Amino acid sequence: MTSALRRLQPWMVAALTMALLVAGSMVWVQARPTESVNILMPAPFADATQPLVKRFNQEHRGRIRLTVTRGPLETEAISDLAISSLLLGDTPFDALLMDITWVPKYVAADWLQPLDPWFGPEAMAALAEGVRAGNSINDVLYRWPLVASMGLLYWRTDLIDQPPRTPQELVTISRQLQADGRVPWGYVWEGRQYEGLSCVVLELVHGFGGFWFQPDQAAVGLNQPQAIAAVAWLRQLISEGISPEAVTNYAEPEALQSFKAGDAAFMRNWPYAWAELQQPGSAVRGRVGITTMVANSGDPSTATLGSWGLSMLRGSAHPEATATAMRFLSSTESQKALFLSHGYTPTAASLYRDPELIALNPILPQLEEALEHALPRPETPLYAQISDVLQRDLSASLTGQQSAAQGMERASANTEAILRSAGGTP
Amino acid sequence: MILLLGPAGLLLLVVFAAPLLHYAWLSYHADSVVTGLEPVLNHGANWIRLLQDQRFWQDATQTLRFALVSVGVELLLALAIALLLDQRWRGRGAVRAIALIPWALPTTVMALGWRWIFNTPYGPLDQLAHALGWPSLNLLASPAITWIATVVGDVWKTTPFAALILLAGLQTIPGDLYEALRLEGGSSWVCFRRITLPLLRPYLALALLFRLAQAFGVFDLIQVMTGGGPASSTESLALYAYLNAMRFLDFGYSATVVSGSFLLLLGLCLGGWLLSLGLSRPQRQQEV
Repeated sequence: MTSALRRLQPWMVAALTMALLVAGSMVWVQARPTESVNILMPAPFADATQPLVKRFNQEHRGRIRLTVTRGPLETEAISDLAISSLLLGDTPFDALLMDITWVPKYVAADWLQPLDPWFGPEAMAALAEGVRAGNSINDVLYRWPLVASMGLLYWRTDLIDQPPRTPQELVTISRQLQADGRVPWGYVWEGRQYEGLSCVVLELVHGFGGFWFQPDQAAVGLNQPQAIAAVAWLRQLISEGISPEAVTNYAEPEALQSFKAGDAAFMRNWPYAWAELQQPGSAVRGRVGITTMVANSGDPSTATLGSWGLSMLRGSAHPEATATAMRFLSSTESQKALFLSHGYTPTAASLYRDPELIALNPILPQLEEALEHALPRPETPLYAQISDVLQRDLSASLTGQQSAAQGMERASANTEAILRSAGGTP
Repeated sequence: MILLLGPAGLLLLVVFAAPLLHYAWLSYHADSVVTGLEPVLNHGANWIRLLQDQRFWQDATQTLRFALVSVGVELLLALAIALLLDQRWRGRGAVRAIALIPWALPTTVMALGWRWIFNTPYGPLDQLAHALGWPSLNLLASPAITWIATVVGDVWKTTPFAALILLAGLQTIPGDLYEALRLEGGSSWVCFRRITLPLLRPYLALALLFRLAQAFGVFDLIQVMTGGGPASSTESLALYAYLNAMRFLDFGYSATVVSGSFLLLLGLCLGGWLLSLGLSRPQRQQEV
């Protein structure tokens, strides 16, 4: 021991002291309370928000450290991941980027923290009107919208001068264009048995003057003549060859692929498709217009609302810091940046009138108009079930397994059975 | 001696028996958002619902159809491949390794691949049909056909696994048996019938059992390729159980679906076992 000490050289002592000093100062820095906030987002959003996260962490150095966890790409896979972590208790996430349809279910499961302390009425007033719905349950705010999204009808400006406004017009124009050999298909949409099909049908049923489900009146409208007519119209599109038969397995990418290749005159899709259609490889670049979904004259043209928003989870250890991060990510400047870099439709009303943005993206006024027609899907904790049974019978009707009337009668009965067995009303 | 079985027994108990018992217990409870995600005893209401649930029985039929057809085709193909790979020929080692590639690929990745291959109208298969002047195949959009497309995906992926088991079996057969039969003038077909097939039977049974249980629980392939559609014509029991748990947050009923599927699978395996007993008995007497 002593011999070892005696062998210590002065330079060794100096180095040791330095090392201790550095280590000590590091411990001191870390001892200052840095609150870490972790938000789970689908992969595209996680990538898009990276620059914002970097800036937030620079501005809040030493106080808050924000991490965005890059989740799976698909909407439902994100929900599965979040739910798994919530069920196990002690979730590693402070907040979650949520699809609008999850809110009632998550609130019923008591997983979300009310946001009212951080987002008051004046914040709400700054939102575009179309995105205000679907964020509160019983007047308690649980979700703050970050990106707006709604169903749009894309049309080809090189084929026609004016987009169709009624289902009948869409059929007539398509038939004419197909007969003239100008385009193989009239209309492509999302007909696969999945959530996108429910979105397609919701806006169409309203356009035919009907409705799907009204939770406050506990009324199911699927077996009403208007809803049946809407589904029969979709089936007619397939049987008459206006839509390809394969449309019954189309999700958004397949519909986009067909329209982008110039193979269809019309497409139903979300706002993200616009940027894709303007890519260099697109056959219809610069020849695409957008409008709202067709509707019978006298009935409302409707766009299914499909927005993404931030919700705080109950288990969060740093609610104040999480709210700061949420406010930063949803600020007008952040939304502007996201719109410019990734075309994410803003939720702040002021951005729709921002001349700089309109100059860069000419469809902004149309998006604002579509947002005014936006309608949320039925707000109930049982939404996933009732949408699932609807998709089932829709798919069977669209593939000709049963008539539209049979299908909607069954979907209606199944929906009522779900509501009954869950103690809901009908 | 019995103590030595302890660790293995404990492992089986924890890994297999405990979850099954837990599901069986949960299947007698309501556990959903309506009950605040707390289990509440509901005295077999789930099971009554299951018995009356047309969708459960439709999915059970579809799952059984998928399992039997895909395992049947797989075993036939696997036997042919195993016989081929058992012969001596140049490059056999390389081909043996290549044959395993489908098995080594993650199911989700290859399911995406199949979705692309079967895509109408941009998939290569449809392009081929188009080039030949045929109409579009619509393999993923027709309730009558789409399940066959899922079988193709499954067969492609899992045949190497069955082939591997059968190849191992083939290599346990002593070569002098064949030589003896050949000396007596037995043709290749006779060799196959009298030596290969009987001695391969335990390996066939093993591959059958493994693959049947696996195919019965098919989830990822279907989820990615079709999502259960069109018109739920490809929905499997596992997919239905998953929907109930993860989408609908109805854990009580999901546990009932899982338990019900387990009982069906148990019945299936028992049936298969009894059948194989009946088949092998006369054979044994012949050997004596």
